[in-house]
Amino acid sequence: MNKLIIQDVSFERNNQLLFSGINCSLQSGELLQIIGTNGSGKSTLLRILAGYLEPLSGIISWQDESIFAQDEYQQQLHYLGHQNGIKPYLTVAENCHLYCALTRHNIEIDFALKKMGLSSIKHQQALRLSAGQLRRLALARLLIKSAHLWILDEPTTALDLEGQHLFAELLQQHLKQGGLAILSSHQDLHLPFTQQLRLGRQHV
Amino acid sequence: MFKSFLTIIQHEIRVTMRQAFSWITPLLFFVIVVSLFPLAIGPDETLLRKIAPGIIWVAALLAILISIGNLFRTDAEEGYLDLLLLSPHSLTLLVCSKIFSYWFTHCLPLILVSPLLGLLLNLTSHEELTLIITLLLGTPVLCLLGAVGAGLVVGIRGHGLLLPVLIMPLYVPILIFGTGAMMAASLHQPLNGYFAIMGAFLLVSLAFAPLLTGVALRIGVNQ
Repeated sequence: MNKLIIQDVSFERNNQLLFSGINCSLQSGELLQIIGTNGSGKSTLLRILAGYLEPLSGIISWQDESIFAQDEYQQQLHYLGHQNGIKPYLTVAENCHLYCALTRHNIEIDFALKKMGLSSIKHQQALRLSAGQLRRLALARLLIKSAHLWILDEPTTALDLEGQHLFAELLQQHLKQGGLAILSSHQDLHLPFTQQLRLGRQHV
Repeated sequence: MFKSFLTIIQHEIRVTMRQAFSWITPLLFFVIVVSLFPLAIGPDETLLRKIAPGIIWVAALLAILISIGNLFRTDAEEGYLDLLLLSPHSLTLLVCSKIFSYWFTHCLPLILVSPLLGLLLNLTSHEELTLIITLLLGTPVLCLLGAVGAGLVVGIRGHGLLLPVLIMPLYVPILIFGTGAMMAASLHQPLNGYFAIMGAFLLVSLAFAPLLTGVALRIGVNQ
């Protein structure tokens, strides 16, 4: 059983309180949606939860221990931000191989590419892909490395309808297998959210 | 684990090779700067030979300075840096493999063309050899120190001349010993001491620079 607990987290940017009093608890199989207007701090909160940034105050714990005190925490999660983390001068397959080397995972990348519908452009340079195809490639990483916690910042941007369905399928499978996921979005996604967290004025 | 790093280095080099201008520009810069001196000073052989070590070393240093700022900038913009930080591999080793790839694609070409430029500046074969050895020992130090600076400025948009100003003072010792060795070679003095000190610089920077770069990147990635 995996558990992520967020207690009274706040964050300040340029001496202005971005958000405060964030409380939430997430368990295996649960999906949290973070909603908020532009500039309400969704991405910042996700970066805090991924362990890149330390909050101004509050505690975030994974398996009852602060995430900033355990080195292995970041290896158990997937973080996908606004940027896809794709090297434009490498081909689709090379990007996947590089990711395998980075994460020490060595699974068949063909499976992941096929699942995301990228097999036909496997040997194309990422430079020539469309925004939606790049997003699909970034999401293919979710299949290459298995992680307990997915932290995804607006994962469906630029995806077409088919891509969104594919993503929903991946997500449901992940949750069924006891994974946790945190998503931010400002659009209505038809996903089985179990919890919602609203960022915005009421917290400031 | 060794295989992973080999794959990472191989892909890094591939990225640079496919973006030919990124490594050819500093090389051309180096060649042009060095060849400007004989044109500006005139065909005075003894004078050229005397100032050749300084010219080549300063040109190599500038060529590295203009390109090393990009070491982590594109990675940060592409979101690739986020992936590096999440990797189970030690960040220090990942930084090392990036620095090695940078050195391989940007400095090795400089070292390979430097004998030709030495010819242009009228160096003897003994001096040429010394030049190659000092560059082989010195350029990795310049890259390692430059990487710390590149890590520090990674979160600053439009840092422009900040990086050169930040790390140029750190380049002074290696510049002094690199050109010092060349002077000693032209006077046929023993060189072992110079090489030993440059080797020591290399080992010390190899021990600390990747670690510091890693710390700088963790801070810089959030800006």
